[in-house]
Amino acid sequence: MSSAAQEFLRAAAIKSVDLGHRQTIRRAIDHYEAAVEHTRGRFNDWEAARQRCHEIKWEALNHLGRYLVEFEGRVRARRGHVFWAETSEQAQQYITDLALRRGVRTVVKSKSMVTEEIHLRPGLERKGFKVFETDLGEFIVQLRNERPYHIMTPAMHLTRSEIADLFTEKLGGVDSDDPQGLVAVARRELRKAFFSAEMGVSGANFLVADSGMVALTTNEGNGRLGTSLPRIHVAVTGIEKVIPRIEDLAVLWPVVALSGTGQSLACYNTLIGGPRGPNETDGPEEFHVVLLDNGRSELLADAEQRDVLHCIRCGACLNACPVFRTIGGHTYATTYPGPIGSVLTPNLHAGGQFRHLPFASSLCGACTDVCPVKIDLHHHLLHNRRNIVGSAKGPMSEQIGFKLWRWAMLNSRRFAFLSLLARVALRVLYRLGLEGSMIDPMRPWTKVHAAPRIPGKSFRALWREQHGTS
Amino acid sequence: MEQADKHAQNPGRERILARIRAALREAAPQHQASSTAGAIFAAVPDALGRFQQECAGNNTECLVVPDMGAGTAAVATVLGSLPAGEIFVQDAPSLRSMTSMWHEGRTVRWSSEGGPTESSSATISLAETLVAQTGSIFVSAACGGRGASVVAPVHIVVAGLEQLVPDLPAAFARLRESGALAKNSYLCLITGSSRTADIEKIIVMGAHGPRRLVVVLALGSS
Repeated sequence: MSSAAQEFLRAAAIKSVDLGHRQTIRRAIDHYEAAVEHTRGRFNDWEAARQRCHEIKWEALNHLGRYLVEFEGRVRARRGHVFWAETSEQAQQYITDLALRRGVRTVVKSKSMVTEEIHLRPGLERKGFKVFETDLGEFIVQLRNERPYHIMTPAMHLTRSEIADLFTEKLGGVDSDDPQGLVAVARRELRKAFFSAEMGVSGANFLVADSGMVALTTNEGNGRLGTSLPRIHVAVTGIEKVIPRIEDLAVLWPVVALSGTGQSLACYNTLIGGPRGPNETDGPEEFHVVLLDNGRSELLADAEQRDVLHCIRCGACLNACPVFRTIGGHTYATTYPGPIGSVLTPNLHAGGQFRHLPFASSLCGACTDVCPVKIDLHHHLLHNRRNIVGSAKGPMSEQIGFKLWRWAMLNSRRFAFLSLLARVALRVLYRLGLEGSMIDPMRPWTKVHAAPRIPGKSFRALWREQHGTS
Repeated sequence: MEQADKHAQNPGRERILARIRAALREAAPQHQASSTAGAIFAAVPDALGRFQQECAGNNTECLVVPDMGAGTAAVATVLGSLPAGEIFVQDAPSLRSMTSMWHEGRTVRWSSEGGPTESSSATISLAETLVAQTGSIFVSAACGGRGASVVAPVHIVVAGLEQLVPDLPAAFARLRESGALAKNSYLCLITGSSRTADIEKIIVMGAHGPRRLVVVLALGSS
C-alpha cells in the first residue's frame, strides 16, 4: 500500500467519526440541495439541458485540436498571448518569468482549480511575490494555510465562528460572527490588494473557440476586479475547457450555476477576449492565456474515459457523494476531491500514488445521476479499478480468497455445506464473546460495527419452505 | 512570420497538438442519442413583466419610466439618496444630455478621462442588452469600460425597452448583429448585485462588486 493510501485511511478514520465536521457539511449541503431543488424548476426540461451540455462537450473534446487552434488565433488577433504548457512546471515557470520580467510585486488571484493543480501560489511566493487569494472561500483557506476543501466552496468545512476567530487572529476588526460583517472585513482587506496589484490571475470556466473569449463565472466580483484593474491579466486553464460557440453558453451558464450553487445564473458571467482595446477606457495592457495539458491528452487517448474531460467543475458530484460527506474534502489530499477527483487524479501526471482513490466509493451512482454533463462517473471508477488491478496482482490473501470462493461457488452441495459451517462457527464464536477479536474472520467489519444476527437457516432452506421448490 | 516565431518559442504547442491528434485516432463511443426533445427553457411571452419579476427576485432595483426625461429624474433621485462623492459616468451623448439634471455639487468623472477611481460613490452606464428570462444586464467595455460596472458600491444602468430581449440565445444574437461581440475585449452578463455564499452557504450581498444595482428602463425614447 502506498504511503498516500495509508494516510488516506488514517485521515478517513478520524474524519468519519468527527460529528462536528459531519454537522457542518450536512448543513452546507442542505442549503445547497434546497437551492438546487428550488431553482431546477426554472428549467422546462432539465434532462434536455444535461443532454445538450453533454453534446456540446462531446463535440469540443472530439475535435479538441481544431477548436483550440481556432481559440488561439482569435485571442492573438486581439493582441493576446497564448502559451501551451505541457506540465505544471512549464505553466508555473511561464507565469513567474512573466511576473519577474514585468516588475510585478503583488498578484491578485481569483478562484481557479488549475492554479491549485500547478501550485502557482507557493511558486510565486517562493520568488518573493505577494499573492492574495481574492475569492472569499479561497482567502479563508489561504489564511489557514490549507488547500480548498471543495472545488466550488473552498471553506465549506468551517463554521462562521471558526472564520470569525481566524479573522480576529489574522486581520482584526471583527466584532461578531455575523456572515455579513465577516464579508465586509474581507472586502476591506482585499480592496487594497486589488488597487495595488500589477498582475491578476484567473482561471476559466470555458474557452469560446468561435469568439476567442475566456468565460469566467463568479458571484463576488473579485474575478472582475482582478481582470480589470491590474496591468497584466493571466488566465490559466486546462485544454479541455474549450467549447465551440458563444451560443453554447446560453445553456452552459445556467447549468453551471444550478449545479454549482443552486442559482439560476451566477451574478457575473464575464467574457474576456484580450487586453484593453484601442478605444477602450480601462483594462490590462497585457492578456495571457496559459493552456495546460498536464496529462489531459493522455486521458483523451483513452476513448472509454474521454468524457471525464467533459467536467465543468461544478462540484455537484462532491455534494451528492456519501463518501465525500463522511470523510471530507481534505482526506483525499488531491487538488480535485470527491468522485470526479477519484476518476481524474489517477489519470493525471503523478497520479500513481493515488490509485487507491477509485476504491474509496460505494459505487452508488449518485455522482452520475447529478452530473450536469452526464459523465458516467461510477462506471469510470470501476474502469479505473479494473485498469489498476489488471496491471498488478492483488495481495496474496486476496488471491487465495478468490480462488477458494470460486471453488466453493462451482458446486451447490459444497457451497451449502461451507455456508452451514460458516453459520455454525460464527454463532459459536459470537456466543463466546469473541466478536471483533483477532480470531473473528469478519473482524474488518466487526471491529467497528455490531455483527449482524446470524440466521438459523440458509437462503435456500427459506426458499424451499416458502415456495416448495429449490 | 511573427506567428511562426511565437510558435517556435513555445515548442510545447506542437507537442500537445500532436498528442491530441494521436489521442483522437480512436473514436469515443457516440454520445447517447437524445431521448428528450423538450425545450430546455419555456418561452418568455411577456418580456417586460418577466424582467421586472426577475429583478425583484435577484435584488436588482428596476425603475420603469415612461421616457428618458422621467429616466433622468429617476437617476437624480437615486443619486440624491447616496453620500457625497465623485460619480463616474460613461461618456455617451445620451448620458451627457442627462447630467444637467443631476444633483448639484457632485463631481462627474467621464469615462473618456479614464477608468473609475477607488473612491467613486456610484457609476452610471448604458447596457448592450437586457435579458428578460433571468433579469440580467449585458454590458461591454464600450459601456464605460471594465470598471464601470464593478468598482463602485452603486451601479446605475440606463436602458431603453428596445434593448430588452426574451432570453440568452436572443441576447447572443443581438450581440453578434450589433458587432458588440467582435468589437469589445470584455463583456459581462450581470445578474443581480454582488454576493457570496462562502460562509456556511449563506447568501451575503455586496462582496466585492456593487451592493446596489439599479436599472432605469425607459419605455419610450423621447
